[in-house]
Amino acid sequence: MSEPLVSATGLTRHFTAGGLFRRGRPVQAVNDVSLVLRPSEAVGLVGESGSGKSTVGRLLLGLLRPTAGRVSFAGADLSGAGPAQLRALRPRMQLVFQDPYSSLDPRRRVGGQIAYGPAIHRLWPRGERANRISMLLHQVGLAPAHALRFPNEFSGGQRQRLAIARALATAPDFLVADEPVSALDLSVQAQVLNLLADLRAKLGLTMLFISHDLAAVRSLCDRVIVMYLGRVMEEGPTHAVFSTPQHPYTMALLSAMPSLDPAQRRTRILLQGEPPSATDPPSGCVFRTRCRHALPACAEAIPTLREAAEPGHFKACIRDDIT
Amino acid sequence: MKLARGPVIAVAVIAGLALAAPLLGLPDPIRMDVAHRMAQPSWQHPLGLDEFGRDELSRIVWGARASLAVAFAASLIAGLVGTSIGVVGGFLRGIVELTLLRAVDVVLCFPPLLLALLVVTVLGPGAGTLILVLSVLYVPGFARVAYAGTLSVRAQDYVEAMRALGATRPRIMLRTILPNIIGPVLVQLSLAAAAAIVLESGLSFLGLGVVPPTPSWGLAIGAARATMDQAPLLLLWPCLALTATILAMNALCDALRDALEPHAAPRTTGQRLRDLLTPGRAVPSGDRLLELRGLTVAIETPQGTVRPVREVSLTVAEGETLAIVGESGSGKTLTGLALLGLLPEAARVLTGSARFDGADLLRLGETSWRGLRGDALAMVFQDPMSSLNPLHRVGAQIAEAITSHNNVSAAEAAARAVALLREVGIPDPARRARAFPHEMSGGMRQRVMIAMAIANGPRLVVADEPTASLDVTIQAQVLDLLAELKQQSGLALIFISHSLPVVAEIADRVAVMYAGEIVEEGPVDAVFGAPLHPYTAGLIASAPSEDGKPPQAIGGTVPSPEIVLPGCRFAPRCSRRIDRCESEPAAMVEVTPGRRSRCLRWAEL
Repeated sequence: MSEPLVSATGLTRHFTAGGLFRRGRPVQAVNDVSLVLRPSEAVGLVGESGSGKSTVGRLLLGLLRPTAGRVSFAGADLSGAGPAQLRALRPRMQLVFQDPYSSLDPRRRVGGQIAYGPAIHRLWPRGERANRISMLLHQVGLAPAHALRFPNEFSGGQRQRLAIARALATAPDFLVADEPVSALDLSVQAQVLNLLADLRAKLGLTMLFISHDLAAVRSLCDRVIVMYLGRVMEEGPTHAVFSTPQHPYTMALLSAMPSLDPAQRRTRILLQGEPPSATDPPSGCVFRTRCRHALPACAEAIPTLREAAEPGHFKACIRDDIT
Repeated sequence: MKLARGPVIAVAVIAGLALAAPLLGLPDPIRMDVAHRMAQPSWQHPLGLDEFGRDELSRIVWGARASLAVAFAASLIAGLVGTSIGVVGGFLRGIVELTLLRAVDVVLCFPPLLLALLVVTVLGPGAGTLILVLSVLYVPGFARVAYAGTLSVRAQDYVEAMRALGATRPRIMLRTILPNIIGPVLVQLSLAAAAAIVLESGLSFLGLGVVPPTPSWGLAIGAARATMDQAPLLLLWPCLALTATILAMNALCDALRDALEPHAAPRTTGQRLRDLLTPGRAVPSGDRLLELRGLTVAIETPQGTVRPVREVSLTVAEGETLAIVGESGSGKTLTGLALLGLLPEAARVLTGSARFDGADLLRLGETSWRGLRGDALAMVFQDPMSSLNPLHRVGAQIAEAITSHNNVSAAEAAARAVALLREVGIPDPARRARAFPHEMSGGMRQRVMIAMAIANGPRLVVADEPTASLDVTIQAQVLDLLAELKQQSGLALIFISHSLPVVAEIADRVAVMYAGEIVEEGPVDAVFGAPLHPYTAGLIASAPSEDGKPPQAIGGTVPSPEIVLPGCRFAPRCSRRIDRCESEPAAMVEVTPGRRSRCLRWAEL
């Protein structure tokens, strides 16, 4: 097995609410998350709002400092890196945002935005700029002439292509895509998903695909990590997690997905209530308050991830008798 | 950026005159002719002579130099300093923000005139002192504007993207933040310049500004005041100059604002959405609960009339759930709003009729609507936060919906509100009834909206994307609740959504809309199982499938409503298009009873 490109151990991030003189209780956005991404691997990070999946993405990119734990990227320790060291690594890891309307600077021509990263890091030889911009635009399915336009002249799907071109301009090894299609129209979501899949295959990108859309993750990713309230519930190869989910939360999540196929509309596991507040997560297993299989023991200790069913498939649940 | 030309020319002329004063061949503004003091206007001296026999026109023009130079210099300096403070404070936050912004706020605590008096007393009067005083006075304004702008821009993803690209902080502030906040700063600049002209005149008038004999408008007004009885015109000229300049500057402010904020045009959409639940009752009749025929909605735009909804016909039977699915821009939401008489101001019903309970919903007056809406016809919107009143407790809002349509006591209504909250599955309903909307989660708020909608036993509920903003496990709960309510009370539902799987779960029949038209309609399992329109088929194939097969994308994008095509609206994106598709409009064909398609080639699909 190859060396991981990105790895995180014990990643924890708490956000403190309140102002300079008033400290509220911290929001425990991410708690003790460990993960690895090997080169050219696509990993899906799924969970509902408030699960901490976007925070994990930003921690892995060094855009947020962890409260505890560490991140390493290509052997370098990001959590301990200084600003200059981080900046030098920036071209190698990039981010695609959910909302293509707020992720592009409305006052700058798109060509300039694509060339921005390479300009900062002096990646392109002199005189190559126009050429490279055209190549990148072509790569994401747009015309070179588009470089001179402003973002407001593009549709949502096109804007997301532009954001992808900007992220690819510095030739990154690692791409975090944070809900890249959920703000797009239904009929163009597939275009962007397919584009990401193509680019990944062509460029050998390592990708963290953050999404609440399980079906999109399924079509794109090799492995899946399921998060709930800041913690990893289950992790494993995509096919295994989808066909034989091991954690009660994953089971509920999968069964809650509405389906076009009447045969797929099996008995739905309805979760009771709503996720508890991240400022005051339940003791022990954070999911136990909504879990219908919860035992008294679930409240006692935080369950650790352990291998279940097949190699590489982990769950953070103390029970083995749930199917 | 399109700037109105008038104000620009006016300001340019005023500034140009001041700059060109030495070249205009005017008489020396300082040379006195005491013998002819306060002479009336003549050919030689068009505005007459002042109290020392100096040419008034020359003094006004030269005076503009002093006034404008001081005003522009002061506002430019204040703009540079204030904007820097605002951007740096707003971007770096923390201790920097606290120190800089609070320091600036201290200036705001001084009455401007007192501050000016203080500085002039210490430094002595003169143009330099004036510039200093005025810049200090205007720094807080710029700092505040820039700070507010920076706070909103720094939260945008494109700033995060710059960080991800490795841009340094000064670079982000200068090249990303600054261009995006420059609009309001420029407006502030012209406001400050206008105010500075006035203040300069005021201070000079008090003898604290420009030192005589240098001409200045403030000095001229001050001097003319003393001789007002003998030569009233001398007071008029500087005042006129001052007024004209201020008016020109203010006009420039407005023009700048309009040019930099193209979205400043009033938006009335949503205003009427708030005009919701109010009293009355309607008489039910007929087997088809709702029969919508040929609805066309028109919106007047500067580019002409567009028709975002064209010839839409639908029926809903008692107790039936009809889903309208489509992407953004398909016209599904406007169709729903038209049925509720809640179209935004800019839109109007061009043709069509909607029979509901013996009335035509499209021709109903506002009074009749008040009796119907929230009673026999109710609605649930996508964003419960914006549809609930944030200042009232949710129980009280439900109770109000009850009392406005029924003659019941407040206590009875409150009790029914709690019962309704229990019915929509809110735990501990008596306590939750006293909660404010912001104290509830999105899923809970949507339950409250549903409780409000069913409060008066409606026969038809229109729900526009009621689960789109909810997480998937919460969405499952809400869908379950809706299904349960349908079964219990037999209400009919129009469920508007962009999500095919959600529609498949909840609806009996589905109408698929594309670019303002219904392209296919039928029982939900038939439509999704064997679509008779390429668009429906494309939508189904473009959803990532459950077995992990890569999705099949539909090329192109949804056409904007102002584009008029001679043929089928979907033809440009259709993989099965033939020549005829592009030349002749596709008519709705009734394939089997209740199954309709708007495709020429439906038989081959």
